[in-house]
Amino acid sequence: MANIAKKVSWSSRAEESGVAGERTPLFNGSEQPRLSRQVQLASMVGYMSLTAVPSAPVTICVYHEALKNRSNHNHLNLYFTEIFYYSCVSFQSLDYDNIENQLFLEEERRMSYMGFRCLEISRWVVCGLIGFLTGLIACFIDIAVEELAGIKYQVVKQNIEKFTEVGGLSISLILWAVLNSSIVMLGAIIVAFFEPIAAGSGIPQIKCYLNGVKIPRVVRLKTLVVKVCGVICSVVGGLAVGKEGPMIHSGAVVAAGVSQGRSTSLKRDFKIFEYFRRDTEKRDFVSAGAAAGVSAAFGAPVGGVLFALEEGASFWNQMLTWRIFFASMISTFTLNFFLSIYHKNPGDLSNPGLINFGRFESDSVAYNLYEIPLFIMMGAIGGLLGALFNLLNYWLTIFRIRYVHRPCLQVMEAMLVAAVTATVSFTMIYFSNDCQPLGPEHTEEYPLQLFCADGEYNSMATAFFNTPERSVRSLFHNQPGTYNPLTLGLFTLTYFFLACWTYGLAVSAGVFIPSLLIGAAWGRLFGILLASITSSGSIWADPGKYALIGAAAQLGGIVRMTLSLTVIMVEATGNVTYGLPIMLVLMTAKIVGDYFVEGLYDIHIKLQSVPFLHLEAPATSHWLTAREVMGSPVTCLNRIEKVGTIVDILSNTSTNHNGFPVVVQPAKLCGLILRSQLIVLLKHKVFVELARSRLTQRKLQLKDFRDAYPRFPPIQSIHVSQDERECMMDLTEFMNATPYTVPQETSLPRVFKLFRALGLRHLVVVDDENRVVGLVTRKDLARYHLGKHGLEELQVAQT
Amino acid sequence: MSLYKNSPFLVLLVLSTYALASSVGVNLTASDSADRLSLSPAAPAVVVDSPVFKPGVDSLFSLNLLSSFPEDLEISDYCSDLLHIFGQRYVAYVNCLVTAARPVKVCQNCFSTYGSLMNIYNNISSDEMGPGNVSCRDSLLRSDHLMLVYLLYSNMEDIWTKSSCVNCITKGFQSLTNDTLYFISTLNQTLTCFEKYQQGNHTELCKDCKNAYRDLNELYSRMETNLTMCIDIEDSMNMTRRLWSKNFNCSFPREETVPVIAVSSFMLFLPIIFYLSSFLHSEQKKRKLIHPKRAKSYTTLMNIQDKLS
Repeated sequence: MANIAKKVSWSSRAEESGVAGERTPLFNGSEQPRLSRQVQLASMVGYMSLTAVPSAPVTICVYHEALKNRSNHNHLNLYFTEIFYYSCVSFQSLDYDNIENQLFLEEERRMSYMGFRCLEISRWVVCGLIGFLTGLIACFIDIAVEELAGIKYQVVKQNIEKFTEVGGLSISLILWAVLNSSIVMLGAIIVAFFEPIAAGSGIPQIKCYLNGVKIPRVVRLKTLVVKVCGVICSVVGGLAVGKEGPMIHSGAVVAAGVSQGRSTSLKRDFKIFEYFRRDTEKRDFVSAGAAAGVSAAFGAPVGGVLFALEEGASFWNQMLTWRIFFASMISTFTLNFFLSIYHKNPGDLSNPGLINFGRFESDSVAYNLYEIPLFIMMGAIGGLLGALFNLLNYWLTIFRIRYVHRPCLQVMEAMLVAAVTATVSFTMIYFSNDCQPLGPEHTEEYPLQLFCADGEYNSMATAFFNTPERSVRSLFHNQPGTYNPLTLGLFTLTYFFLACWTYGLAVSAGVFIPSLLIGAAWGRLFGILLASITSSGSIWADPGKYALIGAAAQLGGIVRMTLSLTVIMVEATGNVTYGLPIMLVLMTAKIVGDYFVEGLYDIHIKLQSVPFLHLEAPATSHWLTAREVMGSPVTCLNRIEKVGTIVDILSNTSTNHNGFPVVVQPAKLCGLILRSQLIVLLKHKVFVELARSRLTQRKLQLKDFRDAYPRFPPIQSIHVSQDERECMMDLTEFMNATPYTVPQETSLPRVFKLFRALGLRHLVVVDDENRVVGLVTRKDLARYHLGKHGLEELQVAQT
Repeated sequence: MSLYKNSPFLVLLVLSTYALASSVGVNLTASDSADRLSLSPAAPAVVVDSPVFKPGVDSLFSLNLLSSFPEDLEISDYCSDLLHIFGQRYVAYVNCLVTAARPVKVCQNCFSTYGSLMNIYNNISSDEMGPGNVSCRDSLLRSDHLMLVYLLYSNMEDIWTKSSCVNCITKGFQSLTNDTLYFISTLNQTLTCFEKYQQGNHTELCKDCKNAYRDLNELYSRMETNLTMCIDIEDSMNMTRRLWSKNFNCSFPREETVPVIAVSSFMLFLPIIFYLSSFLHSEQKKRKLIHPKRAKSYTTLMNIQDKLS
């Protein structure tokens, strides 16, 4: 597989060019026989370099031919090659740019000063509601997990105790495995069969949403329900997962739902917040929801705001920041309040977060200047391990996309992982000789004695026989000497692979806690070793401190977040003095990790073939102009257009366009209209002839568009009779009369900047006489990326 | 078991408080005598009468005498008596604690002395006026920022709460509770059983004393959940468990390694089968490529590499 890297690109005009991937000059012309080989290569590799157009249709056919004839041994090749496409059918853009048509202007004119004030107040109300509901959901998840996991561990513990005495521990093993996999089966079934988008942590999806990609069903009520139940099942089922990542997705769904004042799924419309029924407003609330989710998960309100800023900050302003902070704060303290009732000391608001790192306050956790290099070293280790984790998970995900894509297979896989997790944990506990005396306060929730002396418990069991959050806390806070190095080493090793294997299963689960756990384990190991090699080490090398730093390093190495993660960790530990070491560690982890492979979320966004726009256009792309980037020719509509034409254009499944420049003859641009608007117009039969005949007909308002949002019916469901096809439609009132345009010579980075900053969906390319020559969409921009061989172009695929 | 770990610390604490108490005792007697001196009407006259200041053995005393305060600021007889009794009882309690430090029997042995110490302290700190309409609370407890009497007592109180002796003692410090007595008798049964087999084969001990030991263990865990435990019970249980597990080696042996390994390797084998079969039999997902429409302009006839070079 060593030469795979050479095969990454393929020129469709092989007659003229050499094999592009092998970097041969283009002018010398290559001989005809090589074509077939190149086709074969392309079929294995699956993406092409930027190609010229004329001979394209032919080569596409050849491509399919090659796919069909693919021999079996290519399976292996495919496994290791990259499969980055982006999909053009399943993903649409969101309209983050306001449609300033005449209806909009009219409505704005009618709105009073008080109306705007009320709007502002209702924005705050919505944010408060988002925070409150997100906090409630977090509280529900937490309590459900705690209770159910408690029952499970009690049952298994009693069983183990019974069989330790009379023999037959393999039965306990089977019981544990069966319990785990049946609970996980439940979670996997609802995810795989009912709502596949609820799989995973949901952070990549929310990231895409905030970037402007509409991922189908990502913010639906059904998704939320599946997500919440799924995450409870997977954590109770003992998988190596956490419940923090899904909280972010849940918060986002809550936000998208609350801000609309209705639920399309439940068919209830509360007739409130109607103004917010469009993508621009919804986006702001979704970012507030994501922030509220983070802040509920980690008890980190500022971290939540910064997360929303870092991960979804394509569009931002100061007032929004303040509102989002409000939502985050409400969410944390709602969670605190309800948890305090659950823990039977109502009114205590000082115990925030789903994961509570506990307090690092004693003297031994102070750090000194000479420890900084050690911390940086740990950051580098975290970066390396994180890169390894991502790489393994990347290969595994490709394998899953290729071969484990049927729902029943996905459920089976999840069950197997659960069973193996239980088995591995049991074996580890069974063969561990690390016995520790029971603490006076019984910090161990489910101590397992097994073969230890009476009054002692198995130390491996505190790490494995527990919910991951508790394990993290005990790694941070148990006094030195609670774990011996061998236990920690084995734990790190097994948990690393288990977590890596688990992420990407069809269950809803996050990667934060497993990463923290891996990091805390090797960090603690590091601390113990440090204390043993230095003579007076036990004074400063507190293992709990190093566990924290290790956890930060590992998490940073996997997800590669910087600012928000630092603040989240600092807030979760409640100790500002750790700001510096955590920042340094995360920086180092990111630098080292980025050298090898991208962050986990970016990998998964890529593998889902999402046309994601990064912060900047790829470097060295200034020579590309709008003319080369744009799609052309453009399907345009006349200002007064025949209904039949519009229906035909919309029904054409092969093109499936969403935005249509409106022109006056000869081809001069006068506006832009969207598919969704046309559908609403067709549905209400806004035809010129009908308006003449029925004078009483109600004038179409912006409300009619909002009522149809966000699920516009497909064109097939709209019936247009033969007579009506001959009618005409006047688009003047409804089109956006001032769409953004660029001249043909605009460079790609300029276009990119416009898209990214304004949240555009369509950008019309015009010539010097304002005639439409092309249309740039997100997909035209997202194709370019900087690969090993310079600028490369991804292929659009239909999935 | 951690109690066992902590016990050196406990002993240390007791010792230090004892040392503190004894030194305090010395001071107390000293100031006591000084007080008495100052109370005697002749004493001030003597001091006033002798114009020559004699630096000598009892210069401390004379200094003390010099700095004595007017009568209304000093403590009354009643209070100093109380203080005196407090001191005696304090010493008695600390003595008792130290002797009962290891193996821990602080609750069984010292509850009565603690009761009397508590009584006298309650007297001192009560609001009620004693004879002569004096309250000793302010004069003994709150006159200075050291608050020595309070400090001394709170140390002892800490020890008492830490050892949670309340759970083993009846109200009013009369006797041990029934639960505790029952536990002690069960413990004694077990220990006699241990003694009986100690010389011979340990496997026999493990077999024959198992019932007694198990009863004890069950009783202990019942008490643990009922929160009717004090340090004495915990410690004796710890020691018994150590005897049982470490000295006599009666813990469960790890003997069914083979079935566990068999079951777990079977489990580990399942995913391999799963992935292999899905690799070989499942149909691979195919993607259809779409070629986007592009402008036919002369510039696009050039390739990227062309432009780059």
